Order: sequence, then structure tokens, then C-alpha cells
Amino acid sequence: MNKWKNKAWFVLFTVPLLLVFTTVVIIPFIIGIVYSFIKWDGIAANAKQFVGFSNYVQVFQDDRFMHSAWITIQFTLMALVLVNVAGLGLSLLVTSKLKSSNLARTLFFMPNLIGGLILGYIWKFIFTDAFKYIGENVGAENIFFNWLLNPQYALYAIVVVFAWQMAGYTMIIYIAGLQGIPDDLMEAAQVDGAGPWHRLTKIVFPLLMPSFTICLFLTLSGAFKIFDVNLSLTGGGPVNSTEMFAMNIFNEIFGYSRYGIGQAKAIIFFVVVAAITLVQVYITKKREVQM
Amino acid sequence: MNRVNKWIAEILLVALALVFLSPIYIMLVNSFKDRSELYNNALALPTSFSFTYYAQALEKMNFLTAFGNSLYVTIVSVVIVVVLASMTAWMLVRTNNRLSQVIFMVFVATMLIPFQTLMMPLMQTMGWIRTNLGIPMLNTHEGLIFMNVGFHASLAVFLYHGFMKSIPIALEEAATLDGCSKFGVFWRIVFPMLKTITITIAILDVIAMWNDYLLPSLTLSDKGLRTIPLSTFYFFGEFTIVWNLAMAGLTLTIIPVVIFYFTAQKHIIKGIAEGAVK
Amino acid sequence: MKRAIRIASILTTAALMTASLAACGGSGDGGGSGSGEGKLAKISLFQSKVEIAGPLEALAKKYTEETGNEVDVWGSAGDNYISQLQAKLNAGEGPTIFSVQPGAEAQKYASYYVDLSNEDYVKNIAPGLSTEIDGKTVGVPIGVEGFGLVYNKDLVRPDEVTDLESFTSVLQKFKGEGKNGISLSQEAYFLIGHIINTPFSVQDDPKGFVEKVNSGEVKMADTPAFQEFARFMETIRENSVNPLEVTYDSQMGDLAAGKSAMVHQGNWSYGMLSEFGDLNVSMMPLPLGGNDKLAVDLPAMWVINNKATEAQIEAAHAFIDWVFNSETGKNAIVNEFKFIPSMTNIEAPNLDPLSQAVFEATQSGKTIPWALNYFPQGIIINDLAPITQEFFLDGSITGEQYLQKLDEAWAKAPK
Repeated sequence: MNKWKNKAWFVLFTVPLLLVFTTVVIIPFIIGIVYSFIKWDGIAANAKQFVGFSNYVQVFQDDRFMHSAWITIQFTLMALVLVNVAGLGLSLLVTSKLKSSNLARTLFFMPNLIGGLILGYIWKFIFTDAFKYIGENVGAENIFFNWLLNPQYALYAIVVVFAWQMAGYTMIIYIAGLQGIPDDLMEAAQVDGAGPWHRLTKIVFPLLMPSFTICLFLTLSGAFKIFDVNLSLTGGGPVNSTEMFAMNIFNEIFGYSRYGIGQAKAIIFFVVVAAITLVQVYITKKREVQM
Repeated sequence: MNRVNKWIAEILLVALALVFLSPIYIMLVNSFKDRSELYNNALALPTSFSFTYYAQALEKMNFLTAFGNSLYVTIVSVVIVVVLASMTAWMLVRTNNRLSQVIFMVFVATMLIPFQTLMMPLMQTMGWIRTNLGIPMLNTHEGLIFMNVGFHASLAVFLYHGFMKSIPIALEEAATLDGCSKFGVFWRIVFPMLKTITITIAILDVIAMWNDYLLPSLTLSDKGLRTIPLSTFYFFGEFTIVWNLAMAGLTLTIIPVVIFYFTAQKHIIKGIAEGAVK
Repeated sequence: MKRAIRIASILTTAALMTASLAACGGSGDGGGSGSGEGKLAKISLFQSKVEIAGPLEALAKKYTEETGNEVDVWGSAGDNYISQLQAKLNAGEGPTIFSVQPGAEAQKYASYYVDLSNEDYVKNIAPGLSTEIDGKTVGVPIGVEGFGLVYNKDLVRPDEVTDLESFTSVLQKFKGEGKNGISLSQEAYFLIGHIINTPFSVQDDPKGFVEKVNSGEVKMADTPAFQEFARFMETIRENSVNPLEVTYDSQMGDLAAGKSAMVHQGNWSYGMLSEFGDLNVSMMPLPLGGNDKLAVDLPAMWVINNKATEAQIEAAHAFIDWVFNSETGKNAIVNEFKFIPSMTNIEAPNLDPLSQAVFEATQSGKTIPWALNYFPQGIIINDLAPITQEFFLDGSITGEQYLQKLDEAWAKAPK
């Protein structure tokens, strides 16, 4: 009886969301998988032809896609480190007892408020005009030149913009985590003579594990999926050196009009990325401490 | 920490924050320049601070209507996401079996799907629902809300799931013994304790939905339904941007969210104070 | 707290209710059961030119005032149009009238067109400008556009730039004066898409030639016009500012400020140029192989969606007819959209200097078509632009190698 009741509650609590989620995400995703076996130009009224695994075979022969996947991985690793170091650092700064921390946490979060393509356009001014200006007037011309014209630096430029935006985002999640740490625990440690570093590594970090899980995952998924900044800042250039995964798919689908191949790319990348990140979530989740 | 050090730290913090804001500076100064002034120097302060471009942007964007549309879509979506996702996450955490784990992993995994690959099948699904079930999912605010909830469900469930563990299970057990139903336990005991993360989720979702261009651009067609980001399309040509209007429009777009964030984050801090008393 | 919960639950229920109520509302934009007597169905119009979005909305408003019929003008940011159009058509929520580029793009959407052959308004389409698929007229051109070398009349004269040699010496002269002789810019179309049109279009049968390149029957590297094109690109690389450092905006600014003498651009750029003040500019052909013709063609045409209801299609015909035949409509095309008319019944009295040059070229027959409309889908942005970026960044790539790379990309591109 009780068991039955519990199941009923479970259904009542989860089904509404699952219903919406299934219609909006799961079903389209499954349709997407089906399309990866079909040759189609993406126009509803035009012919669709079942081609088996041929789309997948073509993807693996596509050097440009492989290159794009490799760049995306490089980008993600750099972004992962930079975003989380910055986000954690900022969160520690603004939860310290400084007077300006309240203002600072709003300011650090501001980058998130500018969404989408325009962010890349604004940063373009910085990497071209501002960097040139600093280079010419202050010196250090080997750092301050137009980053967007250099294949390697153009990728760094995207990392910088992404980190600039995401640092504030992860900051507020780290803040939420930091505030879950009871003050008396910290005070007790202080009384016991634990130094700041010791308190940080022995008390704060273990208790922050849930926040780490979340932030690492969010950065990973955000970085793997990056599109807007990629398109507006570098457009994939110069010479395709920054064409990341989502953009490669977009160009396949809406540029070359090869819908099936675009979907096959998406599925392959999804499988790889999901495997990596689920392992990451699994590992960090295991380290979380139950209160 | 002595006084001088403290002041240095304060100054450094503010300085860092200001460097952080340089792109916002670019946005602001260029909302006051005409094209030749922008061409001469994109970085300099404008020669005059006239708000004509703001007035033009307000008018072209049909700002009040767009603001109302954005407000409706965002608020309703966020409330539904928070309500449904917190309930779901709680059940998933407290019912520790294979099914819960699978559902949770599905939520997490789908966050890795790039939206560009979902958009076409999504539109077909919505079109199918309209033709076969008669529910107008497309070109209505309610349809957009429905999709917003679906797309933001994963993140919210994921975040709630992560923070649910910090809630002592003993309290819930006590309440159950007192004869509370699950519904009562959740809304009276659990949800209030999730305040910090709820506000965090609300902030993240409000911003994401308020700024979203792609999904609304696919689902809303009629002029009268446009949200704020959609109404800025006039300023974005294929090869160029009407910079002053675009920047003015952008500034107008983010002011409401800045205010919202500023108010909301105060509650996060208050939330801790309350937590400390408990 | 309890209160908050109640509010939350009320809001949720309300939202769900509205959704389900709306659900009962029936079939959305509906089969045009126009409320008034003799009123036509409400239609929607979706087109790619952001620049005319405002004036077009105003025109739709005037249409409603004059006739009582309604047209909803949809909008999208410039680089978003095609994906939005495609998504909406796929969902069965397509617009009644939409715009497509003639050529490959028009072919792709061909299954959506209503046959316009028997409509009165297509009879006025200027010779050579109507688009036919399977023998049927399917689109109405909204205006013509042209591109070539836009130049500052105070700095350079057309008779100084008549072939590769004179072009090069003019560039060298300006380089010596610390000026930029010619400027391309970093956007894919302005970097390569337009300028590579000329060697295609000077062929006897441009469209057929594109097809031959597509099938690999002809290599660009073996074709004289392209060999000369490569030398043009080499001399541009050698004697002018790196186009990758130039944006469309700064390109126009430099021309207006007298820092550049010529830019490779179209008449559409006058809109931006004029924001920099009064200018003494005009347009001349890119003198590839002595070419003396401007590249003039249709950037877009309007088509009617055959998936719309009968009533909407009827209303769409009525609207298009009104746009191209009423005084209000004709006036808007020339004076508000600033288009060079593509209809014989529309006059163009006061065109801007660039459009005037294009218009005169059409009158005297000194035009070549836009072969680029027939390029394989997506090739300009996906392939030609990256290769050209490489060409400009790496000075060691010769024109010949450049052509070979273009040939390779062309062979691989999906057709």
C-alpha cells in the first residue's frame, strides 16, 4: 500500500516536467537521430532518401570536421581551466568581508547580461581597435596586436571572451555553494589555528564539491556547444582555424544543405562528449559530502 | 588584516571589476555616436550625450509592447521551471533507485545537445502537434513558454539535484511522522530551504530567457508577439550593424535584468543570514 | 511562504489554462475568414533585406489604410533569415510571401512556389529579369543591384583603370602617396564572393560555365580569365591594405575619408556611405580582361507559398499587384526602399550616384550577370572565403596555387 502510494507521489511530482521535457527535447532528438540516416536537404517538401550509415561514413572522411572537433576539444580544455579558476577566485573575493564586494559581485556578473551575437561584435572592437591602440601607444606589441588575424590567437580570443562571460556565471554558483558552508565550522577551524590556505583546502573545497560538479559540467557543456561568440567574433576564421563544432554543423546544414550529414555529426559528437562529461559528473559526484 | 592592506584590497577589487566591464564601456559610448564618429574612434568618449538614438531605438523596437511580451514569457516560464524542476529533483534525490538515476542522467546528458541540431525536428514536432492535436504551439507566447520550460528543465533539475543533498533528511522524516503528505513536506519544509539555489536558478533562467534570440525567432512570427531581443532585428543587417541603435537597444534590453539581478542577489545574502539563525 | 506557494501555483495553473484555452481557439492564422465584406485574408510576408524592414512595414500599413486588407511583415536579423525560413516552412508555419535569391537558392525552394505566369503584374518585369522554373514564372523581382569598383571621383578616373596593367599602376601610385588604391573587406561576399563573379560572368555562358566547373569539366586554373583574376588578387595583396583588417564599416569610412580611392562594392553601399556626409562617388567595372561591364542582377525575388490557403494566395496576388502597380507602392520601391526598379512600369527619377551608374549600365546593356547565384550552396562562406583569407595572410601563396586551391575546394563541395 505504502509502496504504491510512494510511486503515485513519484509520478505526480515528476511527470509534468518529464512530459514537457520529452516533447521539447527527447522527441526532437530522436527524430534527429533518424535524420542522421537520411539524405535530405532540409526542405520539408523535398525528397528524403534512406541511406543507412553512409552519412556517418562521410563524416569520418571529413577532415574539416575532424579538425573542428580537435579545436573544440582544445578550446574546451582551456576554457574549463580559465573559467573555473576565475569563477572560484571571484566568488572568494566577493564573499570576503570587503566593503565593495557587494558592488563587485554585480559588476562581475554583468557580462552575462549581454547575450548572443552582439557580445562577439563588441569584443571585436576590443581585439582590433583597442589592442592595436594599446600596442601602438603603450608597447608590448607582441601581446597587443589584432588577435583575430592569427589562427592561434583567434582561438585564444574566443577563450577569453567565453571565460569573461562564464566566470561571472560560475561565480554565482560558487557563491551559492560557499554560503551553504556554516560559519561556525569556519570559526571553529580558525580557533583551532588553521590558516587561510588550510581552511580553504581542507574545509571549503570538500564542501564545495557539489558546486565543482555543477560548474565543471556547465563549463564543459557551454564550451562544447559554443556558437554565437564563435560566429560573431571570428566567423570560424582565419582560414577555418576557429570553426568549432556547432558552427561546423550549422554550416553543413544551412550552408551546404546536407541535413543528414549535419545530424550525423551532431550524434557522433554528442556520444563522445556525453561519455566524457558523464564520467566527469560521476567522479565529482562521488566526492561530494552529504551533510 | 590591517587597515592599509584592506584599503588596497578594496581598490584592487574595484579596479578589477572595472577592467572586467570594458566591453560594457564600448557598448555605452557607441550608443551615442553616429557612424562617422564611430569610424574615427570606437574607443573614445562620445562628443555629445544626446539620447536621440535611445529615443529612436525605443520607437523602432516598439519597446513597450516588446517589454510586456518579454516580461510575460520570462516570468511565467521561470515560475513553471522552478516549481516543476524542484519537485522533480527532490523526488529524484529521495527515491534512490535505478529509474531515478536514469532520469537524472538523461536530463544531464541532454544539456550537451547543441540547439542547432534540435531546431528543425523541434519545429516539425510542434507543427505536428498543431495539425494533429489542434494546440497552437507556434506563433503563441504560451507555446514559447512550453518550449522554454522544456529547454531549461535540465539545468534547473541539475542544480536542484546538486544542492538538495545539503538539506537534512531528518526534518522531512519528522514532518512525515507528523502526518504531512509528500506535497506538504515538500512545499512547507524542503522548498523554503532551497531558497538560495532557487534564486540562483531564477537569475540564470531569467537572463537566459530574457536574452534569448534563436528560439523565439523560430517560434514567434507575428509582429505583435515579438520579445525585446527579436525587436532589435532592425539594427542587424546581413553585413553591417546600425551600431548606435543596436547598442542603445542592447542597453535598454539589459537594464531590467540588471535591476532584477541587483534585487535578487540581495535576497541570496539575506537567505544566508536567515540560514545562520536556523 | 504559504502565500508565495499559492501565487506560484495559481500562476502555473493560469499558464496551463491559457495554453489549453488557446488550444481550443482553433486553427491559428486560419483560412482567411476575413471579417469584413469583400475583405481579403490576412497574409504574412517574410523577406531577407533588413534594411527595408521598416519602410516595408510602413508600406503594409498604407496598404491596410487604402484597401482594408492586412499584411503582417515578419522580421529576422540579416544572417538569420534562411535558417528561420527553413524552420518555419518545415513546421508548416511558413509565410504567405517570402523572398529567395534567384539561382541555386530559388531551385532549392522550388517545391513551394505558386505559378505566377498568368498574373498581370509579371508582364511588367523588365526583359531578362524574370525567373522561370520549368517554364513557369515563379518570382517577382523586387529590384536590381549592381557591383563593381566604387571610386572616389576626386582621386581616380575610370579611364585610368582599364586593364590589369593600369589597375596595378594606379594601386602603386596610391601606395606611394600613402593611400589605399583598392579596398576589399573581410566579409565573405566582399572579400571574394563578389569579386570572383567577374571571371565567371565574362564567359560566354556564365551559368553553363559554373556547371562545367561544378562537374570538374573545366578547371579555373586552366582558364585565362581566372589566371588574370589571380593576378588581380596578387596585385591587390601586394599594393593595398590587408582586407582581413578591414570591415565593411571601415571600408566605407576609408572611402569617405579619402583614404581609399576604390572599393569593390555594390550600389547598396551608398546607404552607409551617405552617413559619412556628401560624397563624390561613382561606380566603374572591374577591368578584368578589359571588362567594361558592371555586374548587375537580381538579389532577391518574392515568391508565393503554395502551402498557404487559397484565400491567402489570392490575397498575396492582390498585395503584390498593389505594390508594383499602385502609385503608393511604386513610390515606396524607388524612394523608400531605394531600389533600382526591375519593372518597366516604374520610373527611377532621382537615384543616388551609385544606383544611377548601375541604372545607366542596364540602359546601355553594359552589364554582366551574377554567376555567383549559381554557385554550389554555401561555397562562398564555407570554402572560398577561408582559402582567400589564407591567400591574404600568407604572401608565399602564388596566384596559381590560389586557383588550384579554389579548384580543389570546388571539386569537394556538395552540389
